[in-house]
Amino acid sequence: MDQVTNALRGDGIALSFGGIKVLKGLDVEFRAGEITGLIGPNGAGKTSLFNCLTGAYRPQHGSITYAGTSLDGLPPAARAGKGIVRSFQHVALCPDLSVRENVMIGVARNYSAGWASAFLPLSAGRKERQDMAAAADRVLADLGLADSADLLPSELPPGTQRLVEIARAIVGKPSVLLLDEPAAGLNNSETRDLMKVLRKLASTDLVLVVVEHDMDLVMSICDRIYVLNFGEFVAVGTPEEVRGNEDVVRIYLGSDDDE
Amino acid sequence: MTQRLQDIAASSIASWIPVAILAALPFIVGGSWTFTLGLCFANSIGVLAVSFLVRYGGEVSIGHTFFTALGAYAVGVLDTRFGVSLWASVPLALLLGVSLGIAFAWPSRNLHGIYLAVTTLALALAVPEMINNLDWITGGYEGLYVSTPLVPGVEMGLQRYYLGLAMLVAVAAAVARFRLSRQGMTLLLAKTHPAAADAFGTRRVWARIAVMGISGGIGALCGATLAFSGSTVSPGGFTFWQAIFLLVGSVVSFYGLSLVRVLIGGAFVTLVPQLLSASGAWIPVFYGLSLLGMILLGHYLPRIQKTLARRKGGA
Repeated sequence: MDQVTNALRGDGIALSFGGIKVLKGLDVEFRAGEITGLIGPNGAGKTSLFNCLTGAYRPQHGSITYAGTSLDGLPPAARAGKGIVRSFQHVALCPDLSVRENVMIGVARNYSAGWASAFLPLSAGRKERQDMAAAADRVLADLGLADSADLLPSELPPGTQRLVEIARAIVGKPSVLLLDEPAAGLNNSETRDLMKVLRKLASTDLVLVVVEHDMDLVMSICDRIYVLNFGEFVAVGTPEEVRGNEDVVRIYLGSDDDE
Repeated sequence: MTQRLQDIAASSIASWIPVAILAALPFIVGGSWTFTLGLCFANSIGVLAVSFLVRYGGEVSIGHTFFTALGAYAVGVLDTRFGVSLWASVPLALLLGVSLGIAFAWPSRNLHGIYLAVTTLALALAVPEMINNLDWITGGYEGLYVSTPLVPGVEMGLQRYYLGLAMLVAVAAAVARFRLSRQGMTLLLAKTHPAAADAFGTRRVWARIAVMGISGGIGALCGATLAFSGSTVSPGGFTFWQAIFLLVGSVVSFYGLSLVRVLIGGAFVTLVPQLLSASGAWIPVFYGLSLLGMILLGHYLPRIQKTLARRKGGA
């Protein structure tokens, strides 16, 4: 399949809370094989759009499809079953699980050992855990976190916790990966490592969308950028096109008229 | 990594030492103590059932006697009416506990905190009356006497003791294994971050129902063990207060799921009332003080240990 037929599409997505219109009939197409940036000021609706795409919110209007199949009405867990996964703006790791175990959850949907294996010393459960742990260890090593695998999330600095969350999102080899501010809290070195990982991830099979405030990261790794403001797209294009767009410059830098 | 492995090894040894001591106890102490300890093992399983709900579901139950009564009467009725031994009645008790746990969880799946706790209270209040109204099978107030041996030819007192110990060790081991399983990990995530669990394929409703089903099953195993180790099954063993005591045991053990922790909770539920039985009208006061003492000890013990370790290191 080419990158367009494998796309995650939203047509006319509208979302309101009470009388407040959060998303105003958005048309989007996130293509496989590209890294798409979704930028905009705080409150523009970026996370709300992610929530609609993953099924956490149900838009009042519009439809969402992936690879030509409608996702409308599917709950988040069912969308996850189709390989549509996300990271969260606020880190959502389980404090009771080690770093490795948190990452293992990202691949859990690919396994199916039964309940008896969960309670009894059966080989199916042992093998499942070994395979999940091996997959988690590989991703942690890619992100330079191998030494942290046995630690609890609370023992890690916030930036590293975010990397663990990204590891959890990518370990299951998703078909659609929505990253919500993945570089928030990372230092320069960690951000560079993250950029390398994201570039490596950008394959023909993966729809990769990044919500991010770090413009250097967005401009250097994204193939296409959507700029959202007050629930509407004000610009869509390549990094060069977006950088030169007067509306975008005004939103981010303000204009003389605003003063 | 090495430290973690050492911790796990230490924890495993810490579990097996009390098991070895308890296995040897009937050869040292008298019959009344073995009987009481058999009840203590059964109550420890009940404490584990309540703690499981807290740890994996983040919810509190004040009605788990519903599930313990199910298990106890499954054993009692099959034993007295049909002569069926534990080999068949325990699996049935487990099945009943899990099924009715799920049946309870489905309509209450969107209730949380105090609302769910009060709903479980309804279960606890209903249990004794239900048992009395079904007296044609439950034996009503008089109850049932469980007498069919598990292993023919072995002294019944020893069977009642060792069955309780074996059940406790087996349930604690199964729950410890569950913590490492795919299902266990996803349930823990669903408790702390339901949206994240949803996003990785675990529906929060499924998580809620699964936790209540498992907890109900463990509760029924507690009842089955109580019936055999205690030899009688009657409504007085499944009152609202008994449900509260299971919660107290869970609190005293700080919702721990390890063998040692649940044994502490079970011992508090079983032994403290017996030790205080000669105190007459002061029993509730002393019980309350014991409870307070245990909670304060559990709260300050880690700090005391740290302070002692610091002084030792500095000396």
